[in-house]
Amino acid sequence: MKLGQSPHLDALCGEYLLGTLRGPARARFERACAQEPRVALRLQHWQHRFTPQPSEAFRMPPTPPTWQRIARDLDLRRYRQPWYARVGVWRGWALATSAALAVWVGVVMIDRSAPAPAMRPIATLASGQGGAAVVASLSDDGRWLALAPARPVEAGPQQSYELWLLPPDGSAPVSVAVMGQLGTQLPVPAALVGRLQAGAKLAVSVEPAGGSPTGAPTGPVILVGAIGAV
Amino acid sequence: MLDDIDIRRLILLSAARDAAAFEQLYQRTAPVLLGVAFKITGRRELAEEVLHDAFIKIWHAATRFDPVATRPVAWMATIVRNRAIDTVSRADVARVSTLDDSEGALDRLFDWSASSEDEADQAQMRHWLRGCLDELKGRERQALVLAYLHGLSHGELADHLATPLGTVKSWVRRGLQSLKHCVDSCMGVS
Repeated sequence: MKLGQSPHLDALCGEYLLGTLRGPARARFERACAQEPRVALRLQHWQHRFTPQPSEAFRMPPTPPTWQRIARDLDLRRYRQPWYARVGVWRGWALATSAALAVWVGVVMIDRSAPAPAMRPIATLASGQGGAAVVASLSDDGRWLALAPARPVEAGPQQSYELWLLPPDGSAPVSVAVMGQLGTQLPVPAALVGRLQAGAKLAVSVEPAGGSPTGAPTGPVILVGAIGAV
Repeated sequence: MLDDIDIRRLILLSAARDAAAFEQLYQRTAPVLLGVAFKITGRRELAEEVLHDAFIKIWHAATRFDPVATRPVAWMATIVRNRAIDTVSRADVARVSTLDDSEGALDRLFDWSASSEDEADQAQMRHWLRGCLDELKGRERQALVLAYLHGLSHGELADHLATPLGTVKSWVRRGLQSLKHCVDSCMGVS
């Protein structure tokens, strides 16, 4: 019988939240949450009403290595914007510049608001098994890449997607980005600007959380597509 | 107290893969969440292990976080508790926890107050839950609080309370039933 129809559904949700549901029963309940929307909704209902807020009165600052391990295992460096892309830096620069100019030549109006980059489709990535395709677009300046899947696709909890450039000369794939989902816009790594050209291919593989541990694709390649004329 | 609105913002930024926001989220919440894990594991190094695993999960689960339906701090605490319970359920983990089952534990270890940033219905819900816990029979409340706070299994509860397993199970079951009944009737649900 499905758990969603069980007369004990409320009791199971309660004991799961409380933590007294253990072993195979706990595993079965977690599976049902993933597979049966009715169970997941019921648990959410319980969570909303019966989870108390932990108090700040009992605090234990963790030791620094714990954060260092988290950052390393997720390879968070990959998600950090380079300094020149941060809005704050430009804002600070703009303020300083405006102030300097104002001092030198009086009141100067500067309009540097750049339009959003125009994106042009460069490739269609497909699974080869008839699944929905993903369209890859590149900005006119070659610095931004966008992936647009037909429907939202997110990586599983222990997984990331990794986008690879397959050079036209058949040399080793080069990592472009690690992604939590397929629909995204990301900066092209500086070393790869200008290399997303006709002849090369783009591919997406499934990797452990945080991306390939080896620097080469380790998991199944789920999407691939050749770059057309740019 | 941890401000739900601020934590929600940081979770949503993390979902957009903003690593700086994720680090801030960690700095804001990790001391409280490590406390939650420690109450269950009873050992600091195990609690830090749980915290590590939970934050890996939080980074990935952030993309599925529903900002409308979910209370952010409680959501994070649930991930930490689940991980801690999985850890202590492993046969090879010996626990040396000091159990805190004094009557005051509820008010020391949980925050029942309403902050100004709270959505009104969340503050109301907290108020009802606290009131309903008070209405439970003493033994039922004690069993629920011990199980929740320290992640005790039915068997561990029976040992600690020196009560037969069957009796403890029915305290837990009846306690949860009464709690649900009480909160539902506060909300006007029959």
